[in-house]
Amino acid sequence: MTTPQKSDHTKTSQATVSSSTPPSSTSGGAVSNTLTGLLPLAIGIAVALTLHFGLPLIVNAFYARIVMDIGIAIIMAVSLNIVNGMTGQFSIGHAGFMTLGGYLAAFITYYGSMLIWGDVKTHGGLLGPGELLFVSSCIMGGVLAAGAGYVVGLPSLRLRGDYLAIVTLGFGEIIRVVLQQTGRVINHADALKQGGLSQLIPPPVGGALGFGGVPKYTNIFWVYTILTITIVAAYRLKRSSLGRSMISIREDEIAAQAMGVNIARQKILAFVIAAFFAGVAGGLFAHESGVIISPQDAGFQRSFDYVIMTVLGGRGSITGVMLAAGILTALPEFLRDFDQYRLIVYALLLIIMMLVRPQGLFGIHEIWNMWPLRRRTTKATVNAPSQEAT
Amino acid sequence: MSDFAQTLITALAIGSLYALIALGYTMVYGILKFINFAHSDIVVLGAWSSYKLAIWILPAIGLDPLNLKAPPPFWVPAVVMLAAMVLCGAVGFAIERLAYRRLRRAPRLNVLITAIGVSLLLQNFGQLSFIFGASPQSMPQLMPNLELVSFSFGEGESAQRVVIGLVDVVIFSLATVLMLLMQYLVFHTKLGVAMRAVSFNTDTAALMGINVDRVISFTFVLGSVLAAAAGFLLVMKYTSMNQPAHATWVLLGLKAFVAAVIGGIGNVRGAVLGGFVIAFVEQFGAFYISSAYRDVYVFALLIVILLVKPSGLLGTPMREKV
Amino acid sequence: MTVPTSRTLDVKKSENGLPALLDVDAIGISFGGLKAVDGFSLQLPTAGLFGLIGPNGAGKTTVFNLLTGVYEPDCGKIQLGSRRLIKCKPHEITAAGIARTFQNIRLFPDLTVLDNVRLAGQLHNKHGLWSTLLRTQGHRREEDVLKEKAYDLLRIFELQDRAHELASNLSYGHQRKLEIVRALATDPRVLLLDEPAAGLNPQEKILLSQSIQQIRERFQVAVLLIEHDMPLVMEICERIIVLDHGVTICKGTPSEVQNDPRVIAAYLGSGLTDD
Repeated sequence: MTTPQKSDHTKTSQATVSSSTPPSSTSGGAVSNTLTGLLPLAIGIAVALTLHFGLPLIVNAFYARIVMDIGIAIIMAVSLNIVNGMTGQFSIGHAGFMTLGGYLAAFITYYGSMLIWGDVKTHGGLLGPGELLFVSSCIMGGVLAAGAGYVVGLPSLRLRGDYLAIVTLGFGEIIRVVLQQTGRVINHADALKQGGLSQLIPPPVGGALGFGGVPKYTNIFWVYTILTITIVAAYRLKRSSLGRSMISIREDEIAAQAMGVNIARQKILAFVIAAFFAGVAGGLFAHESGVIISPQDAGFQRSFDYVIMTVLGGRGSITGVMLAAGILTALPEFLRDFDQYRLIVYALLLIIMMLVRPQGLFGIHEIWNMWPLRRRTTKATVNAPSQEAT
Repeated sequence: MSDFAQTLITALAIGSLYALIALGYTMVYGILKFINFAHSDIVVLGAWSSYKLAIWILPAIGLDPLNLKAPPPFWVPAVVMLAAMVLCGAVGFAIERLAYRRLRRAPRLNVLITAIGVSLLLQNFGQLSFIFGASPQSMPQLMPNLELVSFSFGEGESAQRVVIGLVDVVIFSLATVLMLLMQYLVFHTKLGVAMRAVSFNTDTAALMGINVDRVISFTFVLGSVLAAAAGFLLVMKYTSMNQPAHATWVLLGLKAFVAAVIGGIGNVRGAVLGGFVIAFVEQFGAFYISSAYRDVYVFALLIVILLVKPSGLLGTPMREKV
Repeated sequence: MTVPTSRTLDVKKSENGLPALLDVDAIGISFGGLKAVDGFSLQLPTAGLFGLIGPNGAGKTTVFNLLTGVYEPDCGKIQLGSRRLIKCKPHEITAAGIARTFQNIRLFPDLTVLDNVRLAGQLHNKHGLWSTLLRTQGHRREEDVLKEKAYDLLRIFELQDRAHELASNLSYGHQRKLEIVRALATDPRVLLLDEPAAGLNPQEKILLSQSIQQIRERFQVAVLLIEHDMPLVMEICERIIVLDHGVTICKGTPSEVQNDPRVIAAYLGSGLTDD
């Protein structure tokens, strides 16, 4: 141990910076801070715009649709990873949040459209009034889903592993059953206006057959913009103190508590954040052309798909999960002939992964850490000569 | 009153089936401390293999499975059930040996995911056209549709009949016999002692000379055999069968698992108690409140129990050592 | 979440005359009819170094668990400074200033050495979810300060070179050291060390006892130490408490404890009498 020096080790020592970090409090610093904060978002939007306008020039609608599906799947998988991968909980009802949010978003867009424009066609082009309604309704869907995430997160405080899995599963099933009992969709603006509030109970969202007729606003731009936001949020979370406290819960709950982590709060926060993004993804899903959102979408079969993506991708790895989500969404499209074998292959893949490489493709690393030839330069080698481990 | 009695009878029959299935979950959980998600698929296997066996045996003795005029001889359902039990026992043994054995020391989440994988595998493998196919089928009536007991409530025109059918009686008594055999096995035999020892502490049990591998294999086989019996009995009562990957099967298994949890997971008597509790909640809820929310009652009960007494009705609370 | 009640209370004097920082008054707990800890009391002064010894199963770790909120005492009071700690969750107790290490090392295996320490240091962070997602200036600054503090601590204990290694890849001795560093990162006033010398070789034990004393000097933390290594305990502890079957059988200076017949009986049995 080096010779002890005077150090003011008081409770407020956090405020005193002991070494060389210069305070970045100048206005120039603030501006550059904001810019770097927004940079990833700007890049993402640029990519989204490029894809949105460029892709249809290259490929036909079938592939464009797959690209959108991949985007939505990635949002779902990355958000689920916050709960399952980072915080180590076992939520297998994620599709329930998605469907809940999707239904609310569809409800707002559909009936909002009816009230504003008198019909349920899409209105305006990119960033037009119709799309603004659509985006707001997706956000509302996310908020509702986040509330549900809070409710589902509460049992997670008392339950571990297997039990929590069953409760989350049950949640998805409850959503499914409840949605099946909803009423028929109202087709005409006049009927809506004359019917009054009583026709909203039970909500007229189509019942077991699903919510048809929703205006199809989802496009590549929005999917990939929201995708960018999701990934940036997940990444910033992972690298921050907040993310570390969630990871510590995964690693060792008791030690985490002993080190000052409020595990109850963090667990619920994880559920709420993940559910929000799932709800927004649900909104995107409900407004996708060719999709009729139905109660089945809340069931465990869909939830399992996302769980498999997080398991294969690696629980600590955002890029790993993205890759897994992309592959597992795209592959079935190209292997439609073999559809009856698809789930068998998934199942075998899952079992083999658990036996052979349980940490998933990338484990806790991101894709840029996987390259063995590149050595990360660490602060340690700058500060002191390295010592051999004895 | 008659509705009450009829619902009661159905609840008793269904409860026995849930109990049989729950026993498999609880035994495996007691020994290996994980939920065998694939257990419900053994029930499906039991049901569908009974179907395949039936439509293979019946023509062999000159009867047309699609057009049974009279119930076949007594030995037909018995043989079908026993054959299904043997088959499922073998499959249960194989699953444990191939998938779960290597993961005995792995983190529980990994084993859980593997169990989900095995479950998916069984479901979708079963749906292949050369196995069971992906369409619903109708199980031939292997047991006579007798009404053993019937009584009426009320007088004259408003009289309502309550029927206790042969199938219900068979289900209830057979399940009871199996459960009593289980009770005897677990609490009054050396093998039962070994099973309980392994459930308390695997390593210590091994040190005491118990062949842990064999005990675990046996437990899986036992659970699968009971599941097969439950599957067979289920399709005796409800003859229209959904395809193997259909959600109704998974829900059935899930409810049986909830039964095991409610009774106290790892507790054999608890599984039986839980099975009947779940059946009663489900049947009476569906009848008196609303049948549309049938599945919800069971899950709602689960959440209540997990929040109030997570160790279950008959379970003992576990403390984690720090 | 229960909020710990705070009352300004009189501070007791500890055995060596200094005011008690940690005042424990007759706490106890039973598990299913078995009294694991019975009437445990302690007055630990600021920067005091006390030892807690006793045969295996005496209840020493249970005392730690009672002090850190893992178990709630059936009776008795715990007071830190002028603040009464009642029904507190473990993370609240850590925030109040009591930190601990574990008998079986409980590091975060998939986190790096640096992250293990940072995690412990962040409990006083002010910036929450939105600051994190938007990467505000305040958030970044807080993270930078946290990182510097963590490095400082690692440098003191010569672990800075391993900052980016996974905790699970460290050698056993280094893991034990990291556990202590991590607990220190929470800025505690009291440090509970649970068998820190277990599994260390004699060389490492000497370094450990030096470290403990230097920690107390430099950081002015009070230390309560559970240990089985008698020479180490007798050498560095000012006062020793001896537990047996949950009951305190002796309290005093090392020499008093060494010569106490009850202590000897507890460890070695009453053995042969006069013959």
